Amino acid sequence: MDKVDFISRRENVSLAAVMARKGVTAADIGGALAFEVPKEPAYRSGSGLGLVGTGPGTWLALSETLDNEWPSALEAALGSLASVSDQSSGYAMYRLSGANARELLQRGATIDLDPLAFTAGSAATTVISHIGVAFWQLDDTPAYDLVVFRSMRESLEHWFESVAASL
Amino acid sequence: MRIPCPYCGDRDSQEFVYRGDASPVRPADPAEETEFFDYVYLRENPAGPIDELWYHAQGCRNWITLTRDTRDHAISAARLTSEGKSA
Repeated sequence: MDKVDFISRRENVSLAAVMARKGVTAADIGGALAFEVPKEPAYRSGSGLGLVGTGPGTWLALSETLDNEWPSALEAALGSLASVSDQSSGYAMYRLSGANARELLQRGATIDLDPLAFTAGSAATTVISHIGVAFWQLDDTPAYDLVVFRSMRESLEHWFESVAASL
Repeated sequence: MRIPCPYCGDRDSQEFVYRGDASPVRPADPAEETEFFDYVYLRENPAGPIDELWYHAQGCRNWITLTRDTRDHAISAARLTSEGKSA
């Protein structure tokens, strides 16, 4: 993302999809991980772990280091509560930061990103330019992290560059 | 049109796949072919409130049961289909 100064690739991150088994609640998962697991579309982080709510009983889990063993460790910690699948190479991840970040996302996503409606900790799974993405707001800079299926990376980067050029 | 997803909040209808009337119930096995014909093909097409199925394919990937008035598109209820078909 050399052409857009407020967007950078994030490569050294581990990702895993977590899906609760039948009857297991966010609180049950939170108990096993000693973590406040969001039951709404939200992002929570702490102790090197991040969780993004992507649907009822489903989350995208993040570790801020690239570690092949981490998804297995997460699976072991959750035991029979949830299924875990490594997504580290399944998604491309971006950091968007600064005033232009909100404007750019708002030109793509048909959800309200105004600070009154979407704040630090808010997350959304949606589409930008017909491409499925998930993004969440980290702070009030505003800074966002965004993931896209790896095979759609070039198309989304093209969209980033086209829209950023018009800002 | 905006669809109020119970998990994601208000979303553009383009994120959803429309599946139609939520009221038909699969006949208990064994069933007559005529019963299956009714289940598969016959729809009421009412002018008024109707329960219908929408799949949030490009969001939380859950089935949603909406109560929508076919005359003015006013949506009076939305719930996850996994939590039960009726309001």
